[in-house]
Amino acid sequence: MGSKRVGQTQANSQKTIWTIGGGKGGSGKSFITANIGICLSKLGVRVILIDADLGGANLHTFLGISPPALTLSDFIKKRVPLLRDVLIPTAIPNLQLLTGAQDLLNAVDAKSVQKRKLVRSIQTLESDTILVDLGAGNSLSVLDFFLMSDGGILVVTPEPTSVENTYRFLKSAFYRRLRQAVSSPFVKALIDGAMDRKNERGIQNPYDLIKAVRREDEKDADRLIEEAEAFRPNLILNQVRSKKDIEIGFSIRSACLKYFGIHLHYLGYVVYDQEVNNSIRKRKPLVLENSRSRAAQCVMEIASKLANSH
Amino acid sequence: MKSIKDQTYYEILEVSPTAKDKEIQRAYEHAKETFHADSLAVYSLFSEEEVKEIQSAIEEAYRILMDETLRRSYDHSHLQTAGGQPPEKPFETQEVFKEKKTSLSFTGISFNPDEELYRGKTLKQIREKIGVELQVVSTETKISIKVLERIEEEAFENLPALVYLKGFLKGYAQSLGLDPQKVIDEYLHSMEEAKKK
Repeated sequence: MGSKRVGQTQANSQKTIWTIGGGKGGSGKSFITANIGICLSKLGVRVILIDADLGGANLHTFLGISPPALTLSDFIKKRVPLLRDVLIPTAIPNLQLLTGAQDLLNAVDAKSVQKRKLVRSIQTLESDTILVDLGAGNSLSVLDFFLMSDGGILVVTPEPTSVENTYRFLKSAFYRRLRQAVSSPFVKALIDGAMDRKNERGIQNPYDLIKAVRREDEKDADRLIEEAEAFRPNLILNQVRSKKDIEIGFSIRSACLKYFGIHLHYLGYVVYDQEVNNSIRKRKPLVLENSRSRAAQCVMEIASKLANSH
Repeated sequence: MKSIKDQTYYEILEVSPTAKDKEIQRAYEHAKETFHADSLAVYSLFSEEEVKEIQSAIEEAYRILMDETLRRSYDHSHLQTAGGQPPEKPFETQEVFKEKKTSLSFTGISFNPDEELYRGKTLKQIREKIGVELQVVSTETKISIKVLERIEEEAFENLPALVYLKGFLKGYAQSLGLDPQKVIDEYLHSMEEAKKK
């Protein structure tokens, strides 16, 4: 998967797949996915939104459309011949929706070959950008999809529970990525052990892990460092109410750099705004219903960053 | 990917080796806030011992980097390359530093959740929050410290002519990373309102 600039619409060009996950339920992942998708489509980017939120697939509600009759399972069960046949058009030009969370994640939970096959199928869809709403939770299937995308985006609110859950997700994704990078069963076992702070080897953090691996295999240790440094998730802070809240995003980034040695990219924040709730109740996307609201402005700014990211 | 023990003082504070005092001060305040024992961003990720270790590394980095002599000596022993000059991009923190600069332009300071206007006292609060001495602003902007004080104190009757004041406000806003036009407009508005009273 590769990333590209906005506006490149050649049929054979690579598309960008962003996954939105992490944190706890209710942090605003679906709201952000839907509204960023709309902003991008208004910039001329062909966007497909994929609803993979097992806990509550309702991305369609954020787009103001009824629960779709066609889902991914219609394609998997061969009721329709092509994946593109299950894409749901929306009233917004350039924007389509694909639902079928259960089937998608079940498929991703399957063997690696099948996962890649599914991703390849998704990649064949005519679009420039695909946004996948992974919902809450950190099951292996969710983690794998997060790691297989071009960019993972964590949506966090400035609350202890949300930050805790995000770190839990990040830790799981981080160690899973490292695990996938090596073949040695011994090193894999070390990585599995590192997830538990009370492990018998006393591995407390990623640095301890690297040291322990290095004692066994220099190459594997170097490989893990490479993987860690290449892992660059993104962060959006939602429902911020003060400058202090905004600073939490920078603090989370600093904490991740110190703990994991990873560069978390702070994409931006979305202010707490009653207009968000109003738009959800009306089942109308905020960026269309009230584009001048403060929250909509924040979402637009983030979307424009994504559009211009390489 | 380095543990706190292996990081340079610049890496610990996430600043460039060419960072000025103002940037180091700002980074230090940020690091202190981030690694405070009760910090939302830290308590569930690090153990108490790890936090203490980082805190003391931050204090040590700040102490050395804010002292010209100690910093020079540190740079000499830690940053010199074979060519005798500090490397231009020696660390991964260089990247973080750049991102921080970019990110700050859209966040934090320019964000005004309470819709509070940029008045003298607001500018002073922001300056103090980011830990910048007035003298540092003065040196950077070439605006006399007296004028800066009058701007902050809202001593409108003693401020320079409007055309100069606009230039000073612009320089001051830029030095704090604020939107200059917004600062000028709102400050002048508050000045007009005060004159009406």
